[in-house]
Amino acid sequence: MATVTFGEAIRQAYREEMTRDRNVFLIGEDVGRWGSLYRSSKGLLEEFGPAQIKDAPISEAALGGCGVGSAIMGMRPIVEIMYIDFITIAMDQIVNHAAKWRQLSNGKVKLPIVFKTQGGAGRRNSSQHSQSFENWFVNVPGLIVVMPSTPYDVKGLLKSAIRDDNPVVFIEHKALYFEKGEVPENEYLIPLGVADVKRAGTDVTIVATSWMVLFALKAAEKLQASGISCEVVDPRTLWPLDKDTIAASVNKTGRCLVVTEAPVEGGWSGEAAAVVQENCFGRLKKPVKRLGSIRSGIPYGPVLERQVVPNENSIMEAVQELMR
Amino acid sequence: MNGNLLEKLYGDMLLLRRFDELCLALKLKDLIYSGYHPYEGQEAVAVGFCGLLKQDDVVLSTHRPHCHAVAKGCSLESVLTEMMGRQTGCSGGLGGGMQYLDPGNNFFCGSIVGSNLPIATGFGLAIKQQQMDRVCVCLFGDGASNTGAFHEALNLAAIWKLPILFVCENNQYAEAMPAKEFVACERISMRARGYGLEEISIDGNDVEETRRIATALVERIRKGEGPFLVEALTYRIRGHYVGDPEATYRTREEVESWRPKDPLKRAREKLLQQGCAETALDGADHAIQERLKTLQEWALKQEFPTLEQSIDHVYIPLTREMR
Repeated sequence: MATVTFGEAIRQAYREEMTRDRNVFLIGEDVGRWGSLYRSSKGLLEEFGPAQIKDAPISEAALGGCGVGSAIMGMRPIVEIMYIDFITIAMDQIVNHAAKWRQLSNGKVKLPIVFKTQGGAGRRNSSQHSQSFENWFVNVPGLIVVMPSTPYDVKGLLKSAIRDDNPVVFIEHKALYFEKGEVPENEYLIPLGVADVKRAGTDVTIVATSWMVLFALKAAEKLQASGISCEVVDPRTLWPLDKDTIAASVNKTGRCLVVTEAPVEGGWSGEAAAVVQENCFGRLKKPVKRLGSIRSGIPYGPVLERQVVPNENSIMEAVQELMR
Repeated sequence: MNGNLLEKLYGDMLLLRRFDELCLALKLKDLIYSGYHPYEGQEAVAVGFCGLLKQDDVVLSTHRPHCHAVAKGCSLESVLTEMMGRQTGCSGGLGGGMQYLDPGNNFFCGSIVGSNLPIATGFGLAIKQQQMDRVCVCLFGDGASNTGAFHEALNLAAIWKLPILFVCENNQYAEAMPAKEFVACERISMRARGYGLEEISIDGNDVEETRRIATALVERIRKGEGPFLVEALTYRIRGHYVGDPEATYRTREEVESWRPKDPLKRAREKLLQQGCAETALDGADHAIQERLKTLQEWALKQEFPTLEQSIDHVYIPLTREMR
């Protein structure tokens, strides 16, 4: 297996899927000349040409609609929204059209669109370039929501998202693009809606997504030294949620911490906690605990933003509370 | 334009007028449940533009879609029973009066004002990229021309030279907001200049003009000269919805002043001048009314969708198998 960055894994997924199916195209601001903000489509304009790699103006609403219309016509658009904070401009198309039109067509049209974006803190970008909006999409029937945490996962999940006939909101994390990991040479897919146990353990289950998985793994490593064995479960897809894997883990450990970068209120972390309560009630040794960002905008700069979002220390503290 | 074509266009408009009246009556009987937006007075736009197109051309309509749909070629049965929420509706009765899809006839509409313009760019892009001989006609109102989506879509369509005909059906009111007060420019077509497009305003109540302009522009779009934005000036004779508080935004006199400009009245007068027999026109009207009576009787017998049917297509089931 080769070791590649998260960004390179995305590029591999694009290259494979665009070669396999010429109807797959990427559209967004600076996806061509720049090769995307974090270079995940670097070089692909030269390789695939402007029909498959389309630089577009700063027009998120138009690009969202462009995805809807072209998908109905048999194309497979990947609409890149540079920052999830900008997806607000495209919300009408995603929520009112992409998510609704298959049902409204009585099953006659397909909307194979990937709305691909990146969110989260970690790059000192303050309150309008650092947010975590995944919870909004989880609450919209008709959408699939994916949040990968590793190069291996992002490649396999992105390929599946491109091939899936449902609209998929695919949320990467800006702090992950330069993380490295092993990716097989041979082609592979990861099914949507299937969680992954990132670390096996016996005392506490930590359910975490995206960037938080990295912190959870670091915390688990340190906690191991003090004799606490953590199992880290990454749902990878927030809807549909792989309840079975989460429940199986908590039924084994009896304790559960859900970690999310978004504020916990009204969010997916509550859904995960409810799944545990419904499926593992008799086995729980402690109430389910949740850890999310402070209910605040993300403050500016390297110090404060790290204090607002969860990190390995706050995860360790939360696990230790569960063990008391 | 020869008399036969005008007679056909008049007949098409008459069908829409009577259909609109039928829908209104059903709305008043609470057999159409959702918001229902009457089309009376605007028929020359639907017939002129939508009625020109081939089946594989695309129409994107609005929250006031029923006459656009019929003019595009959707069956009266599928449109009426959609509004009545029956299984035989083009969206299986799940959409109602403001949002439905008839993919077989390439007709799409939705109830978020301005949102169809961005979608038109997607259809246009696919048509262009796949080099198909199809056009996309996107209809919207004066209100939609004030949305951000209007600007984004016009700009995108213009820079990529997409095969789209944007038709602003300026009926002079966005709900209760008069265009003369809420649109900053004198004519909405003036906005076309900002996208490097021609400024085209037409009399939207003259069916010969709407058809003539539609024909010319669609032909030019098929030759790769698109997109175009055309403003069809018309007037919403009825309220935004049935029973809206009309007195809060316009006078009776204003409405009455538009009646002489009614597109059916004008077409009929011209036909009579040209020697068309009144009895022939009345006969056509009678035939339409008989047809709609039968349609209504049939529609009332259609089944409602079950819950299972209505939620069957929210998702295409995921599979764990690799495809």
